[in-house]
Amino acid sequence: MKRPDLFTSGCVLLGSVPVILIILGLIVLVGLQIADPAAFIDAITDPSVSDAIILTFSAAGVSTLLLFLFGTPLAYLLARKKFFLISVIEGLIDLPLIIPHTVAGIMVYLLFMHQGLLGLPLSITGIRFEEAFPGIVVAMLFVSVPYYVNTVREGISRVPIRLELVARSLGATPGRSFLLIVLPLTTRHLLTGGLMAWGRGVSEFAAVVMIAYNPMIISTLIYQRFNTGGLYAATAVAFLMVIFSLLLFVLIRMIGGRLLSEE
Amino acid sequence: MLEISDLVVSAGKFKLIVSQFIVRDGDWIIITGRSGSGKTLLLETIAGFYSSDSGSLILNGRDISKLPPEKREISIVFQDYSLFPHMNVKKNISFGLRMKGVSGIEVIVSEYSKMLGIESLLFRRPSGLSGGEKQRVAIARALAVRPRLLLLDEPAGALDPVTKKNLWNDIRNLYLGGGLTIIHVTHDMGEAEILGNKKVVMEEGRIVSDMSDISDSLNGDIDE
Repeated sequence: MKRPDLFTSGCVLLGSVPVILIILGLIVLVGLQIADPAAFIDAITDPSVSDAIILTFSAAGVSTLLLFLFGTPLAYLLARKKFFLISVIEGLIDLPLIIPHTVAGIMVYLLFMHQGLLGLPLSITGIRFEEAFPGIVVAMLFVSVPYYVNTVREGISRVPIRLELVARSLGATPGRSFLLIVLPLTTRHLLTGGLMAWGRGVSEFAAVVMIAYNPMIISTLIYQRFNTGGLYAATAVAFLMVIFSLLLFVLIRMIGGRLLSEE
Repeated sequence: MLEISDLVVSAGKFKLIVSQFIVRDGDWIIITGRSGSGKTLLLETIAGFYSSDSGSLILNGRDISKLPPEKREISIVFQDYSLFPHMNVKKNISFGLRMKGVSGIEVIVSEYSKMLGIESLLFRRPSGLSGGEKQRVAIARALAVRPRLLLLDEPAGALDPVTKKNLWNDIRNLYLGGGLTIIHVTHDMGEAEILGNKKVVMEEGRIVSDMSDISDSLNGDIDE
Protein backbone atom coordinates (compact mmCIF):
# COMPACT_ATOMS: atom_id res chain seq x y z
CA MET A 1 0.00 0.00 0.00
CA LYS A 2 1.24 3.45 -0.87
CA ARG A 3 2.28 5.59 2.10
CA PRO A 4 0.28 8.83 2.37
CA ASP A 5 2.28 11.96 1.57
CA LEU A 6 3.17 14.55 4.21
CA PHE A 7 0.29 16.85 3.29
CA THR A 8 -2.32 14.07 3.54
CA SER A 9 -0.83 12.94 6.85
CA GLY A 10 -1.06 16.53 8.11
CA CYS A 11 -4.71 16.75 7.03
CA VAL A 12 -5.49 13.47 8.83
CA LEU A 13 -3.70 14.65 11.98
CA LEU A 14 -5.37 18.06 12.12
CA GLY A 15 -8.74 16.85 10.83
CA SER A 16 -8.96 14.17 13.49
CA VAL A 17 -9.00 16.77 16.29
CA PRO A 18 -12.71 17.78 15.98
CA VAL A 19 -13.70 14.14 15.36
CA ILE A 20 -11.83 12.97 18.44
CA LEU A 21 -13.39 15.81 20.45
CA ILE A 22 -16.91 14.61 19.56
CA ILE A 23 -15.99 10.97 20.20
CA LEU A 24 -14.47 11.84 23.61
CA GLY A 25 -17.63 13.79 24.50
CA LEU A 26 -19.72 10.72 23.66
CA ILE A 27 -17.37 8.42 25.57
CA VAL A 28 -17.60 10.41 28.82
CA LEU A 29 -21.37 10.61 28.44
CA VAL A 30 -21.64 6.84 27.87
CA GLY A 31 -19.13 6.20 30.68
CA LEU A 32 -21.33 8.03 33.16
CA GLN A 33 -24.37 5.96 32.14
CA ILE A 34 -22.42 2.72 32.58
CA ALA A 35 -21.22 3.90 35.99
CA ASP A 36 -24.76 4.76 37.09
CA PRO A 37 -27.30 2.72 35.06
CA ALA A 38 -30.08 3.45 37.54
CA ALA A 39 -30.06 7.15 36.61
CA PHE A 40 -30.31 6.24 32.94
CA ILE A 41 -33.23 3.87 33.58
CA ASP A 42 -34.94 6.62 35.59
CA ALA A 43 -34.49 9.00 32.66
CA ILE A 44 -35.93 6.48 30.18
CA THR A 45 -38.98 5.85 32.32
CA ASP A 46 -39.56 9.45 33.36
CA PRO A 47 -42.58 10.76 31.39
CA SER A 48 -41.36 14.37 31.67
CA VAL A 49 -38.24 13.36 29.69
CA SER A 50 -40.18 11.63 26.91
CA ASP A 51 -42.65 14.54 26.82
CA ALA A 52 -39.76 16.99 26.46
CA ILE A 53 -38.18 14.96 23.66
CA ILE A 54 -41.47 14.70 21.77
CA LEU A 55 -42.12 18.43 22.28
CA THR A 56 -38.61 19.35 21.08
CA PHE A 57 -38.73 17.22 17.93
CA SER A 58 -42.29 18.23 17.01
CA ALA A 59 -41.69 21.98 17.58
CA ALA A 60 -38.52 21.78 15.47
CA GLY A 61 -40.52 19.85 12.84
CA VAL A 62 -43.24 22.52 12.70
CA SER A 63 -40.66 25.30 12.47
CA THR A 64 -38.97 23.43 9.59
CA LEU A 65 -42.30 23.05 7.77
CA LEU A 66 -42.92 26.79 8.22
CA LEU A 67 -39.44 27.46 6.86
CA PHE A 68 -40.23 25.30 3.82
CA LEU A 69 -43.34 27.39 3.24
CA PHE A 70 -41.80 30.83 3.77
CA GLY A 71 -38.09 30.20 3.26
CA THR A 72 -38.26 28.44 -0.10
CA PRO A 73 -39.78 31.39 -2.00
CA LEU A 74 -37.25 33.69 -0.31
CA ALA A 75 -34.38 31.38 -1.33
CA TYR A 76 -35.72 31.43 -4.89
CA LEU A 77 -35.80 35.24 -4.98
CA LEU A 78 -32.27 35.48 -3.60
CA ALA A 79 -30.97 32.91 -6.09
CA ARG A 80 -32.70 34.22 -9.20
CA LYS A 81 -33.53 37.90 -8.94
CA LYS A 82 -31.32 40.93 -8.82
CA PHE A 83 -32.82 43.69 -6.75
CA PHE A 84 -31.72 46.74 -4.85
CA LEU A 85 -32.01 45.44 -1.29
CA ILE A 86 -30.53 41.99 -1.88
CA SER A 87 -27.39 42.59 0.22
CA VAL A 88 -29.45 43.99 3.08
CA ILE A 89 -31.77 40.97 3.02
CA GLU A 90 -28.82 38.56 2.85
CA GLY A 91 -27.31 40.29 5.87
CA LEU A 92 -30.60 40.11 7.78
CA ILE A 93 -30.92 36.39 7.07
CA ASP A 94 -27.42 35.74 8.37
CA LEU A 95 -28.02 37.81 11.52
CA PRO A 96 -29.12 34.82 13.68
CA LEU A 97 -25.74 33.23 12.90
CA ILE A 98 -23.75 36.01 14.46
CA ILE A 99 -25.84 37.32 17.35
CA PRO A 100 -25.90 35.52 20.71
CA HIS A 101 -29.01 33.39 20.88
CA THR A 102 -30.03 35.13 24.07
CA VAL A 103 -30.32 38.26 21.92
CA ALA A 104 -32.35 36.30 19.36
CA GLY A 105 -34.55 35.18 22.25
CA ILE A 106 -35.07 38.76 23.42
CA MET A 107 -36.05 39.80 19.89
CA VAL A 108 -38.49 36.90 19.61
CA TYR A 109 -39.89 37.70 23.06
CA LEU A 110 -40.38 41.40 22.23
CA LEU A 111 -42.19 40.47 19.04
CA PHE A 112 -44.35 37.65 20.34
CA MET A 113 -45.00 38.45 24.02
CA HIS A 114 -48.59 39.12 24.94
CA GLN A 115 -48.19 42.87 24.37
CA GLY A 116 -45.66 42.42 21.52
CA LEU A 117 -45.81 43.79 18.01
CA LEU A 118 -47.02 40.46 16.61
CA GLY A 119 -48.07 38.78 19.84
CA LEU A 120 -50.83 41.32 20.53
CA PRO A 121 -52.70 41.06 17.20
CA LEU A 122 -52.23 37.29 17.12
CA SER A 123 -53.54 36.93 20.68
CA ILE A 124 -56.89 38.20 19.36
CA THR A 125 -57.07 35.06 17.21
CA GLY A 126 -56.37 32.97 20.30
CA ILE A 127 -52.73 32.16 19.53
CA ARG A 128 -50.56 32.56 22.61
CA PHE A 129 -46.76 32.45 22.39
CA GLU A 130 -45.51 33.05 25.93
CA GLU A 131 -44.96 29.75 27.74
CA ALA A 132 -46.61 27.89 24.87
CA PHE A 133 -45.83 25.64 21.89
CA PRO A 134 -46.11 28.45 19.26
CA GLY A 135 -43.50 30.45 21.20
CA ILE A 136 -41.06 27.52 21.01
CA VAL A 137 -41.74 27.16 17.29
CA VAL A 138 -41.08 30.84 16.46
CA ALA A 139 -37.89 30.86 18.54
CA MET A 140 -36.62 27.76 16.73
CA LEU A 141 -37.67 29.21 13.39
CA PHE A 142 -35.84 32.47 14.08
CA VAL A 143 -32.49 30.79 14.70
CA SER A 144 -32.91 28.23 11.87
CA VAL A 145 -33.63 30.68 9.04
CA PRO A 146 -30.03 31.08 7.76
CA TYR A 147 -29.37 27.33 7.73
CA TYR A 148 -32.42 26.62 5.57
CA VAL A 149 -32.50 29.67 3.31
CA ASN A 150 -28.77 29.68 2.49
CA THR A 151 -28.73 25.95 1.70
CA VAL A 152 -31.81 26.07 -0.52
CA ARG A 153 -30.62 29.25 -2.25
CA GLU A 154 -27.37 27.48 -3.10
CA GLY A 155 -29.36 24.55 -4.52
CA ILE A 156 -31.62 26.75 -6.64
CA SER A 157 -28.71 28.74 -8.02
CA ARG A 158 -27.23 25.46 -9.29
CA VAL A 159 -30.31 24.76 -11.44
CA PRO A 160 -29.52 26.32 -14.84
CA ILE A 161 -31.91 29.19 -15.46
CA ARG A 162 -32.27 28.03 -19.05
CA LEU A 163 -34.23 25.00 -17.85
CA GLU A 164 -36.83 27.36 -16.45
CA LEU A 165 -36.80 29.47 -19.60
CA VAL A 166 -37.27 26.42 -21.83
CA ALA A 167 -40.12 25.25 -19.59
CA ARG A 168 -41.72 28.69 -19.95
CA SER A 169 -41.36 28.61 -23.74
CA LEU A 170 -43.12 25.22 -23.70
CA GLY A 171 -46.13 26.72 -21.94
CA ALA A 172 -45.32 26.49 -18.22
CA THR A 173 -46.25 29.47 -16.07
CA PRO A 174 -43.53 30.75 -13.68
CA GLY A 175 -45.22 28.88 -10.82
CA ARG A 176 -45.41 25.59 -12.70
CA SER A 177 -41.82 25.85 -13.90
CA PHE A 178 -40.81 26.40 -10.26
CA LEU A 179 -42.83 23.43 -9.03
CA LEU A 180 -42.01 21.03 -11.87
CA ILE A 181 -38.42 21.99 -12.70
CA VAL A 182 -36.73 23.94 -9.90
CA LEU A 183 -38.13 22.18 -6.83
CA PRO A 184 -37.46 18.59 -7.99
CA LEU A 185 -33.93 19.56 -8.99
CA THR A 186 -33.36 21.10 -5.57
CA THR A 187 -34.52 18.05 -3.59
CA ARG A 188 -31.08 17.34 -2.15
CA HIS A 189 -30.68 20.91 -0.89
CA LEU A 190 -34.26 21.05 0.41
CA LEU A 191 -33.60 17.90 2.44
CA THR A 192 -30.21 19.08 3.66
CA GLY A 193 -31.52 22.56 4.51
CA GLY A 194 -34.55 21.07 6.24
CA LEU A 195 -32.39 18.66 8.21
CA MET A 196 -29.99 21.41 9.26
CA ALA A 197 -32.85 23.72 10.25
CA TRP A 198 -34.55 20.94 12.17
CA GLY A 199 -31.31 20.03 13.91
CA ARG A 200 -30.71 23.66 14.78
CA GLY A 201 -34.21 23.89 16.23
CA VAL A 202 -33.76 20.74 18.28
CA SER A 203 -30.50 22.01 19.76
CA GLU A 204 -31.77 25.50 20.58
CA PHE A 205 -31.96 26.59 24.19
CA ALA A 206 -31.30 30.27 24.81
CA ALA A 207 -33.78 31.70 22.31
CA VAL A 208 -36.52 29.30 23.39
CA VAL A 209 -36.09 29.75 27.12
CA MET A 210 -36.65 33.50 26.79
CA ILE A 211 -40.18 33.07 25.52
CA ALA A 212 -41.11 29.62 26.82
CA TYR A 213 -39.35 28.11 29.83
CA ASN A 214 -42.43 25.92 30.02
CA PRO A 215 -43.48 23.61 28.46
CA MET A 216 -39.92 22.34 28.69
CA ILE A 217 -38.03 21.36 25.59
CA ILE A 218 -35.22 18.90 26.17
CA SER A 219 -32.47 21.57 26.45
CA THR A 220 -34.48 23.41 29.10
CA LEU A 221 -35.11 20.17 30.96
CA ILE A 222 -31.39 19.30 30.96
CA TYR A 223 -30.59 22.80 32.22
CA GLN A 224 -33.25 22.50 34.94
CA ARG A 225 -31.98 19.05 36.00
CA PHE A 226 -28.41 20.40 36.08
CA ASN A 227 -29.46 23.29 38.32
CA THR A 228 -31.60 21.24 40.68
CA GLY A 229 -29.97 17.78 40.70
CA GLY A 230 -26.43 18.44 39.53
CA LEU A 231 -24.31 17.01 36.74
CA TYR A 232 -25.33 13.37 37.09
CA ALA A 233 -29.04 14.16 36.98
CA ALA A 234 -28.54 16.06 33.73
CA THR A 235 -26.28 13.59 31.90
CA ALA A 236 -28.81 10.74 31.76
CA VAL A 237 -31.29 12.99 29.97
CA ALA A 238 -28.50 14.39 27.78
CA PHE A 239 -27.42 10.87 26.83
CA LEU A 240 -30.96 9.91 25.89
CA MET A 241 -31.23 13.04 23.75
CA VAL A 242 -27.99 12.19 21.94
CA ILE A 243 -29.26 8.68 21.15
CA PHE A 244 -32.62 9.95 19.83
CA SER A 245 -30.98 12.69 17.75
CA LEU A 246 -28.49 10.27 16.22
CA LEU A 247 -31.20 7.74 15.40
CA LEU A 248 -33.44 10.37 13.82
CA PHE A 249 -30.63 11.95 11.82
CA VAL A 250 -29.52 8.59 10.47
CA LEU A 251 -33.13 7.66 9.66
CA ILE A 252 -33.79 10.93 7.84
CA ARG A 253 -30.50 10.65 5.94
CA MET A 254 -31.44 7.10 4.90
CA ILE A 255 -34.93 8.13 3.75
CA GLY A 256 -33.45 11.15 1.97
CA GLY A 257 -30.80 9.01 0.32
CA ARG A 258 -33.45 6.55 -0.89
CA LEU A 259 -35.61 9.36 -2.25
CA LEU A 260 -32.64 10.84 -4.11
CA SER A 261 -31.56 7.50 -5.55
CA GLU A 262 -35.12 6.98 -6.85
CA GLU A 263 -34.91 10.40 -8.51
CA MET B 1 -44.99 36.06 -40.13
CA LEU B 2 -42.80 37.78 -37.56
CA GLU B 3 -42.16 41.47 -37.98
CA ILE B 4 -39.72 43.24 -35.69
CA SER B 5 -39.67 47.04 -35.82
CA ASP B 6 -37.49 49.57 -34.00
CA LEU B 7 -36.57 47.06 -31.34
CA VAL B 8 -34.22 48.17 -28.55
CA VAL B 9 -33.15 45.74 -25.82
CA SER B 10 -30.68 46.50 -23.03
CA ALA B 11 -28.66 43.77 -21.36
CA GLY B 12 -26.29 45.51 -18.97
CA LYS B 13 -24.19 47.86 -21.06
CA PHE B 14 -24.96 45.96 -24.26
CA LYS B 15 -27.72 47.26 -26.52
CA LEU B 16 -29.51 45.29 -29.22
CA ILE B 17 -31.01 47.55 -31.86
CA VAL B 18 -33.04 46.11 -34.73
CA SER B 19 -34.77 48.66 -36.94
CA GLN B 20 -36.55 46.10 -39.09
CA PHE B 21 -36.45 42.32 -39.39
CA ILE B 22 -39.11 40.33 -41.19
CA VAL B 23 -39.47 36.56 -41.07
CA ARG B 24 -42.06 35.16 -43.47
CA ASP B 25 -43.93 31.91 -42.87
CA GLY B 26 -41.80 29.05 -44.11
CA ASP B 27 -38.54 30.99 -43.88
CA TRP B 28 -35.41 29.42 -42.41
CA ILE B 29 -33.28 32.38 -41.54
CA ILE B 30 -29.67 31.89 -40.58
CA ILE B 31 -28.18 34.59 -38.35
CA THR B 32 -24.41 34.62 -38.21
CA GLY B 33 -21.95 36.88 -36.47
CA ARG B 34 -19.14 36.83 -33.98
CA SER B 35 -19.56 35.88 -30.34
CA GLY B 36 -21.08 38.79 -28.45
CA SER B 37 -22.75 40.28 -31.52
CA GLY B 38 -26.22 39.88 -29.96
CA LYS B 39 -27.48 36.82 -31.87
CA THR B 40 -28.59 34.90 -28.79
CA LEU B 41 -30.01 38.05 -27.18
CA LEU B 42 -32.15 38.57 -30.28
CA LEU B 43 -33.44 34.99 -30.08
CA GLU B 44 -34.09 35.26 -26.35
CA THR B 45 -35.96 38.52 -26.86
CA ILE B 46 -38.14 36.90 -29.53
CA ALA B 47 -38.74 33.99 -27.12
CA GLY B 48 -39.76 36.46 -24.39
CA PHE B 49 -36.86 35.85 -21.99
CA TYR B 50 -35.75 39.49 -22.29
CA SER B 51 -38.15 42.38 -22.36
CA SER B 52 -37.59 45.13 -24.88
CA ASP B 53 -37.06 48.79 -23.99
CA SER B 54 -39.04 49.81 -27.04
CA GLY B 55 -40.19 48.61 -30.44
CA SER B 56 -42.62 45.95 -31.53
CA LEU B 57 -42.63 42.23 -32.25
CA ILE B 58 -45.65 41.28 -34.34
CA LEU B 59 -46.24 37.54 -34.78
CA ASN B 60 -49.05 36.69 -37.21
CA GLY B 61 -50.64 40.10 -36.72
CA ARG B 62 -50.46 40.08 -32.91
CA ASP B 63 -48.06 42.18 -30.84
CA ILE B 64 -46.24 39.69 -28.64
CA SER B 65 -43.69 42.11 -27.17
CA LYS B 66 -45.47 42.23 -23.80
CA LEU B 67 -46.51 38.58 -23.71
CA PRO B 68 -44.74 36.17 -21.34
CA PRO B 69 -42.83 33.27 -23.00
CA GLU B 70 -45.58 30.75 -22.26
CA LYS B 71 -48.09 32.73 -24.31
CA ARG B 72 -45.91 33.28 -27.41
CA GLU B 73 -46.07 29.80 -29.00
CA ILE B 74 -42.38 30.02 -29.84
CA SER B 75 -40.02 27.12 -29.08
CA ILE B 76 -36.31 27.39 -28.56
CA VAL B 77 -33.48 24.85 -28.76
CA PHE B 78 -30.18 25.73 -27.09
CA GLN B 79 -26.68 24.46 -27.79
CA ASP B 80 -26.55 22.89 -24.31
CA TYR B 81 -29.83 21.00 -24.99
CA SER B 82 -31.37 22.16 -21.69
CA LEU B 83 -33.17 18.86 -21.21
CA PHE B 84 -34.89 18.38 -17.87
CA PRO B 85 -32.48 15.99 -16.14
CA HIS B 86 -35.04 14.55 -13.72
CA MET B 87 -37.42 13.48 -16.50
CA ASN B 88 -36.98 10.70 -19.00
CA VAL B 89 -37.03 11.39 -22.74
CA LYS B 90 -40.76 10.75 -23.03
CA LYS B 91 -41.57 13.16 -20.21
CA ASN B 92 -39.22 15.75 -21.71
CA ILE B 93 -40.95 15.55 -25.10
CA SER B 94 -44.44 15.56 -23.60
CA PHE B 95 -43.70 18.39 -21.12
CA GLY B 96 -45.05 21.19 -23.30
CA LEU B 97 -48.07 19.13 -24.33
CA ARG B 98 -48.92 18.55 -20.66
CA MET B 99 -48.52 22.25 -19.92
CA LYS B 100 -50.87 23.15 -22.74
CA GLY B 101 -53.38 20.42 -21.83
CA VAL B 102 -53.19 18.85 -25.29
CA SER B 103 -54.98 15.54 -25.80
CA GLY B 104 -53.42 12.57 -27.59
CA ILE B 105 -50.00 13.10 -26.01
CA GLU B 106 -48.91 9.48 -26.64
CA VAL B 107 -49.56 9.77 -30.37
CA ILE B 108 -47.74 13.09 -30.69
CA VAL B 109 -44.72 11.87 -28.69
CA SER B 110 -44.58 8.74 -30.81
CA GLU B 111 -44.82 10.79 -34.03
CA TYR B 112 -41.94 13.13 -33.16
CA SER B 113 -39.74 10.48 -31.60
CA LYS B 114 -40.06 8.41 -34.79
CA MET B 115 -39.38 11.47 -36.93
CA LEU B 116 -36.13 12.07 -35.05
CA GLY B 117 -35.17 8.43 -34.64
CA ILE B 118 -35.29 8.43 -30.84
CA GLU B 119 -38.21 6.07 -30.23
CA SER B 120 -35.89 3.54 -28.55
CA LEU B 121 -34.74 6.18 -26.03
CA LEU B 122 -38.11 7.18 -24.59
CA PHE B 123 -37.53 5.73 -21.14
CA ARG B 124 -33.92 6.79 -20.81
CA ARG B 125 -32.75 9.74 -18.70
CA PRO B 126 -30.87 12.58 -20.47
CA SER B 127 -27.72 11.74 -18.49
CA GLY B 128 -27.47 8.44 -20.39
CA LEU B 129 -27.70 9.96 -23.88
CA SER B 130 -25.01 11.08 -26.31
CA GLY B 131 -24.81 14.71 -27.41
CA GLY B 132 -26.54 13.99 -30.72
CA GLU B 133 -29.32 12.05 -29.02
CA LYS B 134 -29.83 14.83 -26.49
CA GLN B 135 -30.17 17.39 -29.25
CA ARG B 136 -32.69 15.23 -31.11
CA VAL B 137 -34.74 15.00 -27.92
CA ALA B 138 -34.52 18.78 -27.47
CA ILE B 139 -35.73 19.31 -31.06
CA ALA B 140 -38.56 16.77 -30.65
CA ARG B 141 -39.61 18.53 -27.44
CA ALA B 142 -39.56 21.92 -29.14
CA LEU B 143 -41.54 20.70 -32.16
CA ALA B 144 -44.09 18.58 -30.27
CA VAL B 145 -45.97 21.72 -29.14
CA ARG B 146 -46.27 22.77 -32.82
CA PRO B 147 -44.76 26.23 -32.38
CA ARG B 148 -45.45 29.11 -34.74
CA LEU B 149 -41.74 29.76 -34.76
CA LEU B 150 -38.73 27.57 -33.94
CA LEU B 151 -35.61 29.26 -32.60
CA LEU B 152 -32.32 27.35 -32.86
CA ASP B 153 -29.36 28.69 -30.92
CA GLU B 154 -26.22 26.95 -32.20
CA PRO B 155 -28.03 23.60 -32.07
CA ALA B 156 -25.03 21.62 -33.34
CA GLY B 157 -22.40 23.70 -31.58
CA ALA B 158 -21.42 21.04 -29.05
CA LEU B 159 -21.43 18.06 -31.42
CA ASP B 160 -18.66 16.21 -33.22
CA PRO B 161 -18.49 16.69 -37.03
CA VAL B 162 -20.29 13.44 -37.98
CA THR B 163 -23.10 13.87 -35.45
CA LYS B 164 -23.35 17.52 -36.46
CA LYS B 165 -23.93 16.65 -40.12
CA ASN B 166 -26.49 13.99 -39.20
CA LEU B 167 -28.33 16.57 -37.12
CA TRP B 168 -28.20 19.12 -39.97
CA ASN B 169 -29.76 16.49 -42.23
CA ASP B 170 -32.51 15.78 -39.72
CA ILE B 171 -33.38 19.46 -39.26
CA ARG B 172 -33.31 19.99 -43.02
CA ASN B 173 -35.62 17.04 -43.63
CA LEU B 174 -38.02 18.31 -40.97
CA TYR B 175 -37.99 21.74 -42.60
CA LEU B 176 -38.47 20.38 -46.10
CA GLY B 177 -41.39 18.34 -44.72
CA GLY B 178 -43.16 21.72 -44.49
CA GLY B 179 -44.86 23.87 -41.91
CA LEU B 180 -41.80 25.14 -40.07
CA THR B 181 -40.54 28.68 -39.72
CA ILE B 182 -37.05 28.80 -38.25
CA ILE B 183 -34.63 31.43 -36.99
CA HIS B 184 -31.29 29.75 -36.60
CA VAL B 185 -28.26 31.31 -34.95
CA THR B 186 -24.81 29.97 -35.72
CA HIS B 187 -21.24 31.11 -35.98
CA ASP B 188 -20.32 27.95 -37.88
CA MET B 189 -19.84 29.14 -41.45
CA GLY B 190 -20.22 25.57 -42.77
CA GLU B 191 -23.63 25.36 -41.14
CA ALA B 192 -24.55 28.80 -42.48
CA GLU B 193 -23.58 27.75 -46.03
CA ILE B 194 -25.56 24.52 -46.05
CA LEU B 195 -28.70 25.34 -44.10
CA GLY B 196 -31.42 27.97 -44.32
CA ASN B 197 -32.99 29.87 -47.17
CA LYS B 198 -32.03 33.36 -46.04
CA LYS B 199 -29.08 34.77 -44.18
CA VAL B 200 -28.27 37.90 -42.17
CA VAL B 201 -25.15 38.97 -40.32
CA MET B 202 -25.08 40.66 -36.91
CA GLU B 203 -22.38 42.85 -35.42
CA GLU B 204 -22.36 44.72 -32.13
CA GLY B 205 -26.06 44.34 -31.51
CA ARG B 206 -27.16 45.30 -35.02
CA ILE B 207 -28.11 43.49 -38.19
CA VAL B 208 -25.48 44.75 -40.60
CA SER B 209 -26.41 42.96 -43.81
CA ASP B 210 -29.50 42.84 -45.97
CA MET B 211 -31.41 39.60 -45.90
CA SER B 212 -29.70 37.53 -48.60
CA ASP B 213 -31.51 34.71 -50.32
CA ILE B 214 -29.55 31.46 -50.09
CA SER B 215 -32.38 29.08 -50.92
CA ASP B 216 -30.17 27.03 -53.26
CA SER B 217 -28.17 25.82 -50.30
CA LEU B 218 -31.01 23.65 -49.11
CA ASN B 219 -30.72 21.55 -52.25
CA GLY B 220 -27.03 20.89 -51.72
CA ASP B 221 -25.61 17.70 -50.25
CA ILE B 222 -24.53 17.32 -46.67
CA ASP B 223 -21.60 14.94 -46.65
CA GLU B 224 -21.81 12.13 -44.15
